[in-house]
Amino acid sequence: MEALDQAAPKIRLDGISKEYIVPRTGQRTLAIADVSLDIVQGEFLCIVGPSGCGKSTILNMIAGLAEPSAGTVAMDGAPIRAPGSERGVVFQDYALFPWKTVRENIEFGPRFRSDARLGAAERDKLVRHYIDLVSLTGAEHKYPHELSGGMRQRCAFARALANEPEVLLMDEPFAALDAQTRLILQEELLRIWGEDLPRAERKTVIFITHGIDEAVFLADRVAVMSNHPGRIKTVMDIDLPRPRRESLRATSEFQTLADEIWQLIRREAYEATIDRR
Amino acid sequence: MTARDENGAAVAPGGATPYWPTPLAARIYASIGGLFVYVRAMAVFLVIWHLVSLWIGNPILLPSPIAAAEALVDLTRQGEVFSNVVASLTRLGTSFALAILLGVPLGFAMGLSRNVFAMVDPLIELLRPISGIAWIPLGMFILGVGEALPTAIMFYGAFFPIVINTVVGVRSVNPGLVQAARVLGVGRAHIVRHVIWPAALPNILVGARLGAGAGWMAMVAAELIGAPSGLGFAVEWYRELLMTPSVLAFVFLIGLLGYLFDRLLRWLQRVLTPWAQTQGGAL
Amino acid sequence: MNLALRLRPFVLPALLLILWQLAAMQAAPADRMPVPADVLATGWTLIASGELPLALLQSLQRVMLGFATSAALALVLGTAMAAYRPVGRNLDPIIESFRPIAPIALLPLAILWFGTGTPAAAFIVGYAAFFPMIVNTIHGVRSIDPGLIRAARTLGVGRLTILRTVVLPGALPNLFVGARLALGVAWTSIIAAELAVGAKAGGGASGGIGQMMFVFYAYSVDLSGIIVCMIGVGVVALLIDRGVRALEYWMIPWKR
Repeated sequence: MEALDQAAPKIRLDGISKEYIVPRTGQRTLAIADVSLDIVQGEFLCIVGPSGCGKSTILNMIAGLAEPSAGTVAMDGAPIRAPGSERGVVFQDYALFPWKTVRENIEFGPRFRSDARLGAAERDKLVRHYIDLVSLTGAEHKYPHELSGGMRQRCAFARALANEPEVLLMDEPFAALDAQTRLILQEELLRIWGEDLPRAERKTVIFITHGIDEAVFLADRVAVMSNHPGRIKTVMDIDLPRPRRESLRATSEFQTLADEIWQLIRREAYEATIDRR
Repeated sequence: MTARDENGAAVAPGGATPYWPTPLAARIYASIGGLFVYVRAMAVFLVIWHLVSLWIGNPILLPSPIAAAEALVDLTRQGEVFSNVVASLTRLGTSFALAILLGVPLGFAMGLSRNVFAMVDPLIELLRPISGIAWIPLGMFILGVGEALPTAIMFYGAFFPIVINTVVGVRSVNPGLVQAARVLGVGRAHIVRHVIWPAALPNILVGARLGAGAGWMAMVAAELIGAPSGLGFAVEWYRELLMTPSVLAFVFLIGLLGYLFDRLLRWLQRVLTPWAQTQGGAL
Repeated sequence: MNLALRLRPFVLPALLLILWQLAAMQAAPADRMPVPADVLATGWTLIASGELPLALLQSLQRVMLGFATSAALALVLGTAMAAYRPVGRNLDPIIESFRPIAPIALLPLAILWFGTGTPAAAFIVGYAAFFPMIVNTIHGVRSIDPGLIRAARTLGVGRLTILRTVVLPGALPNLFVGARLALGVAWTSIIAAELAVGAKAGGGASGGIGQMMFVFYAYSVDLSGIIVCMIGVGVVALLIDRGVRALEYWMIPWKR
């Protein structure tokens, strides 16, 4: 099992760059420059960095929604060219289908995906499992606009999980929530991810955030990015014991790690707030 | 350090070669491109029309675009285009001005006063479903065949969208703005003039565009059925003479005038309400 | 006080009826001006004999024929125009060029091409209904949140399925707006078409409510008949509007 980790990464980013051409002015802008990163099976990786450093672009490229201008993105050794059900995404604004109920949103993937669709009975079992898992029982027949922010987030999470992807990509999923809900959902995310499971049975998670505390609390490793263009500054190992609980935040190890990351991005985060470009 | 261009944006290590020379040039290219696409699309359409007309080979059923263009030129030379356009435009102007002059104040009264609304709204809702065109036979009885009928029918068609959109505009004024003006000690007349009027204007202009569209359509029908002059009359006149190229020439003019009038109103929207979110682009 | 408030809605319609009655009583008999009671009687006769419902139904049939054909065309074309830029760019100038041409202006051509029967009327109706439908289809498809399409793609859903499960429901509210506008102008146009066919083809046997009005106008010179027809036109317009709204409410449960 452990050998599998060493042998081949689950996701490999190899020297990727992304260049934009601003449509109206024709300016070329380099959003990401020469990013290389290996993510192993069962790993929980957080990417933190100031706004506009290209975190989301990296995630979109792994999802297959965007292509790098240079370099390759590969999963299990095969280059990624298009979105696929083996990589699930939880979007920042949730992107729930307004015309589908909670239940219909969650069964959307298994029901409509191109390959390996499930029959009604199987779907029913699957959906019920995930509705219970994210504690949405009782809200199955509500429409997204009838849900609170936290419940929408749970629904989006369950929709991604119900498609049973190997890799879960999360793009600032808790950014739109209030602080208390965020703390609760962080712990629940770890529970659902399966902190107690052996690594080979966990899902690989790539989690974008600008919350340093959030990254340290959740991740096995934190990739710290810098701005203009986006590069990976450092990848830090977070050797805090699992399962992690709320009390961990008060420990000095946690504080030290968080502070270390903050010092790395502080200057650029400040610059981003007064950016005049 | 990363290379930066004069705007401070990061530039690819390879060197700073912007895609377009300048933003202005980009915009000019874009509008030339748009014109080119338009001309190309219409050219393809005209060629197909021409080929179909050759294939049908019956100039009464479908004359070629060249014949239609010749008819338009001839009719213009003889002044017939001019007299009919003037007749239709006079009616358009008269009835549209009347609809605005009566519709906007009524809409304001209905939007500002619950009493007025409660009294007038039922009558409007009773009459509105009966389209202007359905009034044509009765109108011919009352007004006779002549100038008054198409003017009245167009007025009727334009009136309701103008009133209804004015009411909506007045009512949807953000109450916070009115309160803000009141706590500044501004009186009611000034609030109507400087807060409600500008806030309602975008909706009023959308209503004007809707009204103009509906009214124009009703007026062409009225001219076609019961008027001695005008574009609608000319279309029908030349059909009876089986002079299809002239029919097409007048159909073209009906489209052109409708289009130009809408452009005029759009221009007014841009000039009078540059802040508006809804210009009613997809009317 | 309360009673006065409740009576407000009836003041103006009542006033209108009284004025009408007075005017009719003042008018010379040669003017054949009917009083409200005449209209009621005529209305009752026309409904009881089935003439009025039949004429309205005939017109409605033509509207549905023209609307269904052009709505289907507009749906396909509009979706293609919104989803594929080259298609949209090239067809847009042609559609925008035809849009300002009032449908009735094409009636003479329609008569030339199709004669004075149902096809000519349906052509006018279809032409009138096409533009609101296609404009709102394009608008609806374009206004779909691209995030939803991305979400469906990351779930491994194919293009055609996305069209059915994301694009269609996403555009549905706009499609209903288009359908309501389109049926409104279609109903207006059918009356104009039938009236004009009656007026110009000398009262041919084309039928429909517009034709019926023309016969009352030109042959029997029956003003109360015309007014009954006008009321019928209004009632059907109202029913169409409310019908589409009800369908919309039923088919778009997520917007309630």
